[in-house]
Amino acid sequence: MSLEPADEYDHNAWLAERDLSLIEKTYLMTLIWFDRRFRLVDYMELLEDMYYKVNLQMPKSHTEQYNLDNKFWYWYPLYALGSFSVIAYLVAAVSGALLGFYYAPSAASVNGDPEAYVQIVAIMMDQNFGFMLRSIHRWSAQVMTAAVFLHMLRVYFTGAYKEPREVNWLIGVVLLALTMGFGYTGYLLPWNQLAFWAGQIGVEMALAVPIVGEWTAQLIFGGFSLGQPTLQRMYILHVFVLPFVVTALIVLHIGIVWMQGIAEPH
Amino acid sequence: MSDNDDIKTDGSGPGIVAPDDEVPTWRERKERTTGLSRLTYEYFERARREDQDLRQESSYIERDVLGFPAWPHETVRNLAIGSVFVGMLLFLSATMPPHLGDPANPAVTPEIILPDWYLYWSFGLLQLGPINPDLAILGGEKIMSDELYGVLANVVVVGAIAIVPFLNKGGARRPVEQPFWAAVGVGGVMFAFTTSVLAIDNLLPIDPNITFDLTFLLPLVAAAIAYAVLKTMREGYMYDLNRRYYRLRPPR
Repeated sequence: MSLEPADEYDHNAWLAERDLSLIEKTYLMTLIWFDRRFRLVDYMELLEDMYYKVNLQMPKSHTEQYNLDNKFWYWYPLYALGSFSVIAYLVAAVSGALLGFYYAPSAASVNGDPEAYVQIVAIMMDQNFGFMLRSIHRWSAQVMTAAVFLHMLRVYFTGAYKEPREVNWLIGVVLLALTMGFGYTGYLLPWNQLAFWAGQIGVEMALAVPIVGEWTAQLIFGGFSLGQPTLQRMYILHVFVLPFVVTALIVLHIGIVWMQGIAEPH
Repeated sequence: MSDNDDIKTDGSGPGIVAPDDEVPTWRERKERTTGLSRLTYEYFERARREDQDLRQESSYIERDVLGFPAWPHETVRNLAIGSVFVGMLLFLSATMPPHLGDPANPAVTPEIILPDWYLYWSFGLLQLGPINPDLAILGGEKIMSDELYGVLANVVVVGAIAIVPFLNKGGARRPVEQPFWAAVGVGGVMFAFTTSVLAIDNLLPIDPNITFDLTFLLPLVAAAIAYAVLKTMREGYMYDLNRRYYRLRPPR
């Protein structure tokens, strides 16, 4: 048994009965053609739903409701640290994508210097605004890390991690660790002396751990001594693995704050 | 219904059986189940009833509109704050460009081996070798290497931060309401600072032994001072609260 269109849904008859201009007719025909195949109406409904959600009136916060702004306004900058780290993360993502256009994670020797290092020198010296681009990426990373640390201190000293919010505190601790992982992997990418010997510390830390240490060193650093595999792994961690994980966790973190409400001063 | 309307699965018949009185509804199926799903169902029912009761008893008035709309008010404010912040980032980048040192050279060990500043604390924890305990039974042998001791110190510090919400319960929020936990926080911040200093102690004109002792002493001192100050503040705070209370309700 097949589904025959009922009379009242005979769109062609409906089209003929309306006196439409050519543009309107073409538009409607196209819309119907796609709607028959992709159920566009469902997605239009989703969009409409989203429109009303975006225009929701946010409930008044605790301090607004009891008119406590005059008592607490001087704390408010501390409540912006989380947003600051997100903004710095976005700036770092954009500048990092632009840097990635010109960078290659290669330790191969070019006139005696590793290629990654040569590439970064080229970015800084030859590209228009390349020096500024690297500067923006580095500073946004520094500011993001600083903001995340200060955000954690604010949450600690205002007791915002207490009862219903333990899970978000744990997610925050993981995010803090991943942020430092971002910083560490990025620190190794220029493949200068600081990067190489910081990587050496990392390998030695991994090798100090019994049982899983050697396996970890091979997985993360690509061996027991540093070289091309290390640089390549750090690059993939920095531009592929960590961005996905950290972005997903940030969305979860902020989503939970939205659900549970901001823990305000009281 | 006639007798030849057996359910056919070869696609020839209607294939759809109209629900009669015998077919359990989804609600009944949910109620009938046993085990964990049954427990979940019961708990959700109880929780819903509890919420409803609480809402009915509450004197809190829910208003229709309590705040500003997301667009344009909140959005414009957030864009303004975000632009100022991005501007600050660009200013920093333009005025203080980063330094790129010498290329990597495994043959030359540089004078300064350091991670970025936010990992100094972790690097400092790797240098706690002098307090790695040795056992007399093992003839002064250490149970674990100094490196492993340092790595475990990192794990312990992160673990201690992670379990804070499970140790510190209750409704108190302000540091003055809970001097102990505020003092723990101040001690922790000071410890992060002193271990960072320990990481770069070869760059400091101080005797390394003094730096090492200060690494553990300064956090304790800072925590003690914070505790004393907050405890004193709390006395005044509670005194003020009590005075206001007894002014309202004088004791008989």
